[in-house]
Amino acid sequence: MSQALEAKVEPEVVLEWIKKIGSDSSSTVPLLQAVQSQYGYLPRAAMDLIVQNTDITGRQVYGVATFYSQFRLKPVGRHIIKICHGTACHVSGADRLNTSLRHMLNIADEEQDTAENGSYTIEQVACIGCCSQAPVMVISDEVSGNLTGAAAQRALKKHAKKSEEIVANL
Amino acid sequence: MDANNLNVIVGEGTCGIAAGSKEVIEAFRKYAPEINIRTVGCVGMCHQEVITEIHDNNGNRYIYGQVTKKTVPQIIKFHKGEGEPLEEHLIYSPEKQDSHKWQYLGHQTRIALRNVGYLDPTSISDYQKRDGYKAIKKIVAEMSPDQVIEEIKISSIRGRGGAGFPTHVKWNFARKSEGDVKYLICNGDEGDPGAFMDRSLLEGDPHNIIEGMMIAAYAIGAARGYAYIRAEYPLAVKNFGKAIKDAHELGVLGENIQGSSFSFDIKIKEGAGAFVCGEETALIASIEGDRGMPRFKPPFPAVKGLFGKPTIINNVETLANLPWIINNGGAAYAAYGTEDSKGTKVFALAGAIKKGGLVEVPMGTKIRDVLEDIGGGPSSGKPFKAVQLGGPSGGCIPESLFDTTIEYAAINATGAIMGSGGMIVMDGSTCMVDLAKYFLSFTQLESCGKCTFCRIGTLRMRELLTKICDGEAEMSDLDALDELTEQITKASLCGLGQTAPNPVATTLKYFRSEYEAHIKDRRCPAGVCKSLITHTIIPADCIGCSLCQIQCPVGAITGEKKVKGSYTIIQAKCINCGMCFEVCNSKAIQVK
Repeated sequence: MSQALEAKVEPEVVLEWIKKIGSDSSSTVPLLQAVQSQYGYLPRAAMDLIVQNTDITGRQVYGVATFYSQFRLKPVGRHIIKICHGTACHVSGADRLNTSLRHMLNIADEEQDTAENGSYTIEQVACIGCCSQAPVMVISDEVSGNLTGAAAQRALKKHAKKSEEIVANL
Repeated sequence: MDANNLNVIVGEGTCGIAAGSKEVIEAFRKYAPEINIRTVGCVGMCHQEVITEIHDNNGNRYIYGQVTKKTVPQIIKFHKGEGEPLEEHLIYSPEKQDSHKWQYLGHQTRIALRNVGYLDPTSISDYQKRDGYKAIKKIVAEMSPDQVIEEIKISSIRGRGGAGFPTHVKWNFARKSEGDVKYLICNGDEGDPGAFMDRSLLEGDPHNIIEGMMIAAYAIGAARGYAYIRAEYPLAVKNFGKAIKDAHELGVLGENIQGSSFSFDIKIKEGAGAFVCGEETALIASIEGDRGMPRFKPPFPAVKGLFGKPTIINNVETLANLPWIINNGGAAYAAYGTEDSKGTKVFALAGAIKKGGLVEVPMGTKIRDVLEDIGGGPSSGKPFKAVQLGGPSGGCIPESLFDTTIEYAAINATGAIMGSGGMIVMDGSTCMVDLAKYFLSFTQLESCGKCTFCRIGTLRMRELLTKICDGEAEMSDLDALDELTEQITKASLCGLGQTAPNPVATTLKYFRSEYEAHIKDRRCPAGVCKSLITHTIIPADCIGCSLCQIQCPVGAITGEKKVKGSYTIIQAKCINCGMCFEVCNSKAIQVK
């Protein structure tokens, strides 16, 4: 599965970002953010291009990429589901959203976070600042709140229909 | 009534969007394409989202709460002169100015939040209409930097991000530091789970923050500013970016502001998801492009900060107060609050509370007044158990201490901290040991790893808490927790490590009996810890609807559809996830 999701990196795209964002060391985070917004994760080839074409060292690129929780080193599904695990969401049942959506997407292995067909990736995130609507999740860029496990499933079902994705346990 | 003159204002902060504001706007466009629609940030009444305000052609103002696409046609009908008003959704109207819902805002004193929810954050002229950019104009024309610092000193405002350091003292350090290049950073990395006032301000009133940054920059002599904003707040990044651009175009921001010699420019740096970056030196490392790791102080950033230059970092909420203080005078601000804590503070109410949202009150208000008079009491009908203040660095205050007044020293005396102002309210359904474990998992994940006590100590604490939650602990493990608390607090470099044990220390102090129930009786009184609870179906209450069977992720429920009382849970398979409990409409699932 992950093989199929591996992104093809075009050097000219990365070089264009370097030109736009900068090649000094303070550009490390914004450059990686640009790469991730394009590919959904940080492909090794893109990180190598940054090291080769800027003043940023490999130590710095990899150090930063592994330090911040936003950066992913593995390919992701076509859509990302972020389940908020802030305090309010935790005490209001964020765990149940996680259980119910993993069940629906048939992601049984705890080490896995992407559905077998590459449709959705489930991610746990720290507070997204919507605490009074807890528990909250974000599918693609759509925020929804006051969820139960069942309501989260309905939201996923709706999203899957709209984006023509197949969900295992619908 | 002519619908052409109707102005509709829809709250579209992230919380509004989460509650469905996009659908509501769509419905207005569909049923009444002729009306004008404007969007504003969240006024703070998140529990009433989606909030919709209508201004009719007689100049009357109506505010509706919990609007959905289904209620829209009725609202339009009423304002077109047909049908009855939608009483149960009406928060405010000319006839209903003292409704209990409206009291939510009536009990507050709004300084930092004065504009949020009242202006369109993407409109610079909206901000100007509400005294926007008047303060910066005043100071560049009439005041020296020292006079600005003096005014802030009179206001006695302390940093609102958590630590509560007097703002003017910090500014004075930077003002007196040598060097012609100085930086001003807006700390918008609101990492505390449970606090969302910075998001609301950046999203809903970005020009106010820009003006606050300009005032601070003028005072310390900085020509460059950075706004470090969490990437988890995409709408804040978007609205703030547009505000910078608009302020530039209008000539409010940039070279020679208002014809003076003062120049100031702002760049946005998006955070990348690291709680520790709220700490000043870690935040600086992050902007410089490194891992966000704190370093020893001194030298303080005010002397040697970003790129080695004198730097001041102020929190979003602190900055939001500055234009008001300049416009109204420091003394007017200091008139609110108590001897050691002046002014107002914003709190984010969430959890087991009826009216969650943002609340701004004068310092010195009792916690109980915030939770009951404004928050409306517990949402579940069960009594309050505790309130968690200050996030992972803070602690739990039990209900018996709710008469504590909101001021730095009084809150610290309970073992919690003021922090950035998150208030997570809890009733009997929250397990305090599980909560402590949650916070320790958080700090353990977020530790930058530089200090051993923080890196390994928090891991050991989490292991002990896991043992307790799993019913495998001994009483001596509580002593080990005490010992770790002391060591981690003493031996960590930065605030994250020093305060990481706080949630454990306060829950142990106030809820020791819950820890003991887990250890001695192998029982979780709140019914949360999965290893210590069982789910069973009460046959007499089961209506045979099969919902629980459909929802069970592990196929642990058997029974025959439409046969009452036929469903049972196979305990060997059950993972205690609680899905059956959640979907059961007849309350037939028992958790023990």
